[in-house]
Amino acid sequence: MNDIVLETKGLTKYYRRTLAVDHLDLKIPRGSICGFVGRNGAGKTTAIKLILGLLNPTTGSSTVLGCDSAELKPSIRQRIGYVTEGHRLFRWMTIGEIEKFQRPFFPKQWDGKFFTDMIDYFELSRKRKIKHLSNGQRAQVSLALALAPHPELLIMDDPTLGLDAAIRRQFLEGMIGLITRQGKTILFSSHILGDVERVADRIAVIDKGVLRANCSLEQFQKAVKKVMLSFTDSVPAEIDIDGLLHCRRSQKELELVLVGADEEQITAWAQKSGADKHQITKMTLEDQFIEYTAPPDHKKLFQWEEL
Amino acid sequence: MRFLMLVRKELRQSLPWLLLGAVSLMAIAGCILWLQVRYSIYDSYDSYRSTSRYFDITRHPPLQAIGPVLLITSLALGLILGIQHFWMPHFKQTWSFLLHRSVSRKTIFMAKLTAAALGFVMSLGIVWLALYFYGYHSANVPAPPVLRVFVEGCIFMMLGLVVYLATAVTGLSTARWYTTKIFPLLFTPVVIVATVCQWKLAGAFAVIIVGVVILLSQALEIISNREF
Repeated sequence: MNDIVLETKGLTKYYRRTLAVDHLDLKIPRGSICGFVGRNGAGKTTAIKLILGLLNPTTGSSTVLGCDSAELKPSIRQRIGYVTEGHRLFRWMTIGEIEKFQRPFFPKQWDGKFFTDMIDYFELSRKRKIKHLSNGQRAQVSLALALAPHPELLIMDDPTLGLDAAIRRQFLEGMIGLITRQGKTILFSSHILGDVERVADRIAVIDKGVLRANCSLEQFQKAVKKVMLSFTDSVPAEIDIDGLLHCRRSQKELELVLVGADEEQITAWAQKSGADKHQITKMTLEDQFIEYTAPPDHKKLFQWEEL
Repeated sequence: MRFLMLVRKELRQSLPWLLLGAVSLMAIAGCILWLQVRYSIYDSYDSYRSTSRYFDITRHPPLQAIGPVLLITSLALGLILGIQHFWMPHFKQTWSFLLHRSVSRKTIFMAKLTAAALGFVMSLGIVWLALYFYGYHSANVPAPPVLRVFVEGCIFMMLGLVVYLATAVTGLSTARWYTTKIFPLLFTPVVIVATVCQWKLAGAFAVIIVGVVILLSQALEIISNREF
């Protein structure tokens, strides 16, 4: 279970003078579902395109299933499912035609029954043209096309973008649940944290091209904490606690967002600073992500070396 | 099988334009043939004051008047297919889906080129061949067309393929317009003029082959290395 399916080393990409991805060091172990999260323009799509060899890195390298991304052989591509951003398919084709088109590229792996079952599950007719499908339906076809060859690695670029909540849930839970049972590896980018929380077991946070977290989802959720401290007098002028991400202060209250600090450290610091009481409040993943990527002055790489 | 599927996809996608090209050529060629038959027969008076009717084959070689129409149709079709195969995927953002196949990028390009060549044959080639046979066998056409006229038509169709390749190179190139991106657009008229000006058919073929080799090598180089 510990082998690495996807690895990037110092992957960097400049678009002329704009830095899109900055020394990305990412490892995805086999069998994991990794949510690749970041704000709009954080570099998620660029990173995915670099991994798939659709873009050339300025420096650094990446390997997918043991093969250099820049020279992905057709036999390796056959083992990777890819759902493109916006589910861009050939609009003039019908669902039946696009299946017929996709099948020869996976000669031994293509599972026609699986594709048909998925299309039936989504209540789509094979005779319908792609251009007549809604965004959600196109996403469903896109997913069925990517899953029918049973790829070892599935890479999805913002697959739930533009889908309503119900279809998003159906898309993620139903289909990713199905693939998880088969022990496949999934990397999917998203900026909808609820989706990541629901299905991922790992999280990779990218912010302005820099990888800022790469760990299990549980570790991330445990690590980012919000602490409320109350003071009888005024709040201390200097906050010298380790792992400080963000600090908001009022006259007698202090709100700290910390990363990696345990409860003992927090308690010790609260006593040292003269706080009357302190309380660690629960944060949603979305709050954690916003706090983690928001502060401009306290950006540090937070990565557990567990791989 | 994969190559054939790619060719089939491109052909199917281009079908409306191929049909339009064939129908246009057929319609315009039909009109020209009719006019030629109707107005190119002259009355001649000999010294015995008797009249005879003749067709001046030197002034109006059958089918030759259709040549320019075929040339323009070929160039237009080459431009349209080039735009459809190499520009539209940018606008519709389908390159990523297409390129993530278990074939090389060169194979994808060659499939597009094969589809375009087959498209020319199926659309304009068949119509041109049909016109040639019609001219050869029909009693309505005063004299059978010579083979050279037919071969000239084939050369015009090959020029369409040159335009297709030039559109492909321009569409794929990431260079700036004022640098190498504009090269094919300047190079193609040179190839066309140089081909049309050749007296010998072999010379015309040679010019086209040189043009195709230059554009094809450039296109293959770009598609292998460019970013999508």
